[in-house]
Amino acid sequence: MAERKAEDGAGDAEERDLKAAGGERLPEGRSGVRFKGWVIESCKRFILNSAEREEWEQRLGTSHLPEMVFGENSLCLLHEKSGFKIHFNAFDALEGWKRESLPPVEVPAAAKWKFRCKPSQQVILDYDYTFTTPYCGSEKIDQGIKVLSDDSQCQLTWEDCNEQIDLVALGAKEPILFYDEVVLYEDELADNGVSLLTVKVRVMPSSWFLLLRFWLRVDGVLMRLRDTRMFCAFVNEDDATPTVLRENCWREATFQGLSLKGIPSECVAYSDPSEISQKLPIISHEKQCLKISR
Amino acid sequence: MGQMSDLDRQIEQLKKCEPLKESEVKALCLKAMEILVEESNVQRICGDIHGQFYDMKELFKVGGDCPKTNYLFLGDFVDRDFIQLKRFYFYWRSRYPDRITLIRGNHESRQITQVYGFYDECLRKYGSVNVWRYCTDIFDYLSLSALVENRIFSVHGGLSPSIQSLDEVSRFCFITPPIKLSEYKMESTLFVDKNNRPQAGSASRWGMCDLLWSDPEDAVDSWGVSPRGAGYLFGGTVVTSFNHSNNIDYICRAHQLVMEGYKWMFNNQIVTVWSAPNYCYRCGNVAAILELDENLNKQFRSRGIPSRKPAPEYFL
Repeated sequence: MAERKAEDGAGDAEERDLKAAGGERLPEGRSGVRFKGWVIESCKRFILNSAEREEWEQRLGTSHLPEMVFGENSLCLLHEKSGFKIHFNAFDALEGWKRESLPPVEVPAAAKWKFRCKPSQQVILDYDYTFTTPYCGSEKIDQGIKVLSDDSQCQLTWEDCNEQIDLVALGAKEPILFYDEVVLYEDELADNGVSLLTVKVRVMPSSWFLLLRFWLRVDGVLMRLRDTRMFCAFVNEDDATPTVLRENCWREATFQGLSLKGIPSECVAYSDPSEISQKLPIISHEKQCLKISR
Repeated sequence: MGQMSDLDRQIEQLKKCEPLKESEVKALCLKAMEILVEESNVQRICGDIHGQFYDMKELFKVGGDCPKTNYLFLGDFVDRDFIQLKRFYFYWRSRYPDRITLIRGNHESRQITQVYGFYDECLRKYGSVNVWRYCTDIFDYLSLSALVENRIFSVHGGLSPSIQSLDEVSRFCFITPPIKLSEYKMESTLFVDKNNRPQAGSASRWGMCDLLWSDPEDAVDSWGVSPRGAGYLFGGTVVTSFNHSNNIDYICRAHQLVMEGYKWMFNNQIVTVWSAPNYCYRCGNVAAILELDENLNKQFRSRGIPSRKPAPEYFL
């Protein structure tokens, strides 16, 4: 109960700061804020039930889904003036997984199990059970909002750029006006580790910032981190095209590789990816900027 | 008599979530070991709990309070949440030995509890690994399966290609001396048969691991292997022939999360029961327990709870 009170207290402070900054909470029953020309909304529901799972399996053309798929969970950021919308959801992420279709990561135990039977006696399921996805968000222009001139055919593209998200500035403790963390899917890899796709967002008086993170730890084998960060500074509310920066940073290391570098390789130490992320070598790093062209 | 009132006092203390002294936990664990070989008359079967202590109290409310009702728990009592549950649980088991039956889940192993939190929690709360060690020693005394009225085969995971009959199961599973089973990752553990002789062949050892780890799978007909290892996938044909040759009605198992709390497969020949509601405090799943009447007619009781909001965080 004490915890609940503290939460409510924090919520009140959040609301005061939000009002003072000129924003408002979304109406009762919704979770999110309207602030500086943006509507930022999170939606958290439960995991898919059996019937929904079957439907998703059909739509995705697979017979395997993560153990916990939060099918209705989403985070959505709508720029009201332009109708430009960024959103995050499990279905699009799993489509990415299907498309990428990595070969399965083999755990040592699986090899032992395999050798127990003659291959002719068993079916070996070969799919990427880690649910690794290249997903870095979905975006579109919301046609329901006709703010742009009728004849405009808008194109959204992410173009490479040199500008970086200023993580040092983001380290400053500006008040957080809205915060949420949304799990899109999760699998415990039959107790062989974790596969987790989440998105976190925080809205401050000067900007919003989000982190979409795919975190994979296959115990004793490898760790994989695919981070997408997005940042938007509130410059001019009347701006028809907001400047959104995006960085995709992929990191990966095998437990063997880590122990060669003298980094402890007990999986116990790596329940929280933030603690290990800096030690995982970068595989690729893209810096992009959103372009809306007509 | 003095000991019983001690137990009652300790149960009250645990209900209030006040920790016990290390010496008390030790004495309790020893007591639990003495008792674990006994049989019971099961009326309720529960799946994974994963240490969701408050939920388990609720579950007893729904299913009928102990000691008036007999429970069979299908393993995975520990990890992911509070140590209280575990102590509470063994407590209850020690206090009402003929009311609660425990069988072993894949989380009831030393290695898995180290990865998934139970070990850390013991270390944090007691400052030493002793409590963890007392508790994990009990795991070696847990049965790997239970047969309810000769008609329902209950196990945490599922079937094994190394085990065709219940005779074989009982040879491996109902063993008076401790059976040192760690899971498939085992390194230096010793395997013994019912006469306390080390097992030379690996079949029995693998068979035991399969009972804890295997899953039924629609996509295979007989046996399948998943690339992520640990246990087999088994299909409808395997279940039909196991049930038929052992003359049982169905298999009751846990191990996998099901949104509805329970799930029948292969023409009602096997049921998965899951008893941790709102798993990890966000899944929103329903928890179920299987309720059996005197004729073993089955009915499910279930409940769910909502999730909570996270505290703001300056993530980068």
